[in-house]
Amino acid sequence: MRESVVRSIGLTASLAYGALVVWLYATQPQTIAQVSGGLTSIIGAYTIDQQAFDDGLRFFRADKFPEARAAFARADRAQRDARTQFYIAYAWYREGFGHLYNDDALFRHGLAAVDLAITLAPNGRLIVDDPDLQLHTGDELRAELQRGLQVDASDFNPLRMLRKRK
Amino acid sequence: MTPAREAIVLPLLLLTVALLGGLQPGARIVFVPPSLFCLVLSSLLLTALVRSGALDPVRLMHGSRTPLANTNGAIVLATLLAAGAQVFAMLTPATGLPLFFVSVLFLVLLVNTLVANPDRVRLLRSLAVILGSGLVLKFVVLAGLSQPAGRTARVLVALFDAATFGSIAQDPQPAAAGYLAFLTAVLYLVAAAFLPGSERRETGTALRMQLPDV
Repeated sequence: MRESVVRSIGLTASLAYGALVVWLYATQPQTIAQVSGGLTSIIGAYTIDQQAFDDGLRFFRADKFPEARAAFARADRAQRDARTQFYIAYAWYREGFGHLYNDDALFRHGLAAVDLAITLAPNGRLIVDDPDLQLHTGDELRAELQRGLQVDASDFNPLRMLRKRK
Repeated sequence: MTPAREAIVLPLLLLTVALLGGLQPGARIVFVPPSLFCLVLSSLLLTALVRSGALDPVRLMHGSRTPLANTNGAIVLATLLAAGAQVFAMLTPATGLPLFFVSVLFLVLLVNTLVANPDRVRLLRSLAVILGSGLVLKFVVLAGLSQPAGRTARVLVALFDAATFGSIAQDPQPAAAGYLAFLTAVLYLVAAAFLPGSERRETGTALRMQLPDV
């Protein structure tokens, strides 16, 4: 084989491998699924497991939130799909919502999930057209979760018990 | 040195070292980039490799070579620096007194190697000793002391903690971490042995070694 061919192959392989190493250090994937999902999403070939997503949506609408999150997590193993992460965040919100008080731990999980969803959305703009939801954007859900985590005078208003879950 | 070794074998070996050196296995896999100090140590090692004749940069980058060959050479040098930094980061304990102690130890050993100006073979042997010592210290001695069970270990840790200005206890590591570190260190040493050396210096050293003073 000609020397220039060998050198060109080496250069291409080195640059590709080097880019992979830099990508791994920059994105810090935790599982093999995240590695493969991240790589396929770079080339636009990443897809979620639609069956698992539909299961998750069914559980979500039946207020079975842990089951819904498990199914959504199965659908989006690599955590690369903004819409699925939005539903996971919404599940944390609905489970953590309370008429007397909110569960801060669950809201924090929700905030982390919606932050991830916003990061994954193109230009950070995440809109989910689902008539079952009252919060349709990542920004609205994020603000609602943040409001739920804040403690202020309105928390002691008795009329608060009448508020509705979104 | 063959083009295949320069363009394919060395970069892939060194990139693998750079990848594995920062990999911390466990329940959560983490890739840790090297610290600035590790980059300094790697630069010192690179200098030592050049001075000893283990690495001849002219054989990697020179005006008489083609641009493609020079690019291959530049990649070897860059990956060598990155891999060295990751190896030192991998062998340096994470916290406390051992972090300080081992960092100083690596610095002193490398400066000593630079000053001693050994030939290629001796430098590679010295490098194996440096990396082997770091490996044993972190993954055998300190890992043993960090095990939760064992009265002797607890007494030693307590004595060290009381007598020194920092704790010697490290976070327990999975068993795979030591094996991974061993593999990474071996790969780095293999890559260092594969580097294009200065042939003139090697010949002189061999003659000196074969003819003892009478």
